[in-house]
Amino acid sequence: MDTIAFIKRVPDTSEADAIKIDASGMDIERAGLTFKINNWDEYVLEAAAQLKEKLGGTFTAVTVGNKDWNDVLRRALAMGADKAIRIDEDVSSLEPNAVALILKAVIKPLPFDLLLLGAQSEDFGSGQLGVTVAEMLGIPHAALVVGMEPGEKNLRIRRELEEGTLESYTIELPALLTIQTGINQPRYISLSGIRRATKMEIQVLSLGDIGLSREGIIPKLKLEKMELPPKGKKAELLSGSPGESAAKLAKILQSAGIF
Amino acid sequence: MAEILVAIEHRKQSLAEVSLQMLSKGRQLCDQTGDELVAVVMGRVASGYAERLARWADRVLVARNDKAGESLAEPCQKVLTSIIKERKPRLVLIGHSSFGMDLAPALAVAVNAPLATDCISIGIENGAISVTRSIYNGKVNAQLSFTQVDTVIITGRVGEFTAEECNKRGKVEEIDVSWDEAFPYKQFQGYIEQPSRGVDITQSDILVSVGRGIKEKENIKIAESLAEALGAVVACSRPVIDNGWLSAERQVGLSGKTVKPKLYMAIGISGAFQHMVGMKGSRMIVAINKDSRAPIFDIADYGIVDDVLKVLPELTKQIVELKG
Repeated sequence: MDTIAFIKRVPDTSEADAIKIDASGMDIERAGLTFKINNWDEYVLEAAAQLKEKLGGTFTAVTVGNKDWNDVLRRALAMGADKAIRIDEDVSSLEPNAVALILKAVIKPLPFDLLLLGAQSEDFGSGQLGVTVAEMLGIPHAALVVGMEPGEKNLRIRRELEEGTLESYTIELPALLTIQTGINQPRYISLSGIRRATKMEIQVLSLGDIGLSREGIIPKLKLEKMELPPKGKKAELLSGSPGESAAKLAKILQSAGIF
Repeated sequence: MAEILVAIEHRKQSLAEVSLQMLSKGRQLCDQTGDELVAVVMGRVASGYAERLARWADRVLVARNDKAGESLAEPCQKVLTSIIKERKPRLVLIGHSSFGMDLAPALAVAVNAPLATDCISIGIENGAISVTRSIYNGKVNAQLSFTQVDTVIITGRVGEFTAEECNKRGKVEEIDVSWDEAFPYKQFQGYIEQPSRGVDITQSDILVSVGRGIKEKENIKIAESLAEALGAVVACSRPVIDNGWLSAERQVGLSGKTVKPKLYMAIGISGAFQHMVGMKGSRMIVAINKDSRAPIFDIADYGIVDDVLKVLPELTKQIVELKG
């Protein structure tokens, strides 16, 4: 099974204290933020690594971004990827449809049975890139996959619906799946894996190398502005040391008749 | 007359709530613009839903096909592609559910339309459509417009729009669609329900719900002690399930359960919308989280900004003392 995993690096905004909009009003201030692999993509890499271990074949990791994006590829290599490709282009302002055109062009010369992407990203969360690429390539797809078992010429997969229900399919290869969190338990990366990864080459390609140009990618959406969301009703915050705030809360719960 | 089209999702004898939310939003936009609202319902039992949909829609298109399943992406994409090419609606609305995520991006490629997903507001002003998306973990809103405007496809966030009742009596039309008997490259095998081990979090008056901030499996017992003191049941958000720390039946949110207890205590839960949609109807919400900007504080009644591992043991102690 030859698998290609598309992965992404994102700013960690989940616990970042103060997100600010930059002077352009079109992006957030990135200085001071830490970056990490997109949460969904950790499961993508584990799924690809497991397929390679079980079935043999190749495991290729692809990302789009500047040299800082090498760290997510190193992670892929440490998890068993044979090959890592980075398209050297800042796509943070590009819509998913434009990124899909880039991914389509990258994989054109590569043999594959399975394309894997995260079901969504933590930064923009469009959840549309994978299925867009599949339709552009004319191959079957399934979004939000939480289980897969390889068969002879197909895969048996499970998609997540709402309220604890899953649906099951068989899907023929080549195919594209978008992976939902929880499909596996991503492994810890071993020291020997990291040593191996730092020695491996990362292939760097420009848009021109894959037959594209920035001007040739015509956007269909236009970002008008970014802004901080209007404040909600906002909780009444109970201040003090852990003991003090806990005491205040306990009294509130008691007077509300909770206990 | 311009049209706004809503693709309806249904499964196991019921309409998806998000489809009614999209229909209601579509109605509101049409009332403002004078457009006609068209609902498209597809599949084996599609006609059974027509009358209900006609309460919002000016026209309900029923694409009945005995051989097609319920809301599966491939047959629906095929039907919608031919309808969109023929009718050229200015806007197509789809719920950003699992079905919508499987369908909308492929449909957008098939009809060469721009797509904005998971939108939290949708507006039309002077004929121009614009949307708001919530990005960066709910901490930033992005406003978008469209540069290619013949037909625009938008998926709306589940639970973000209200399905207001409406009493129109739209026309119902059966439309002739033939699609392949099956899609040999992707075959539906059936539904799988989550096995239950006997805990029903929807039945509890008090939930102590833990999230990523609980840090490790070992710490769940700190929440269990609090739950015991309160006579509560322990629930959780998705990362706890993904890590295998608790069983799936305890999950609150879009892919888990919807709960409305008297008290919901969100412990180390930042408040992804997928979680909040499952608990925002709780009567009282208390959030404890070290990130003061976590979206959960926007819907909580009371909050403590601190390390949950420090606050929880203190809280349990205080409650036990007050109970005497």
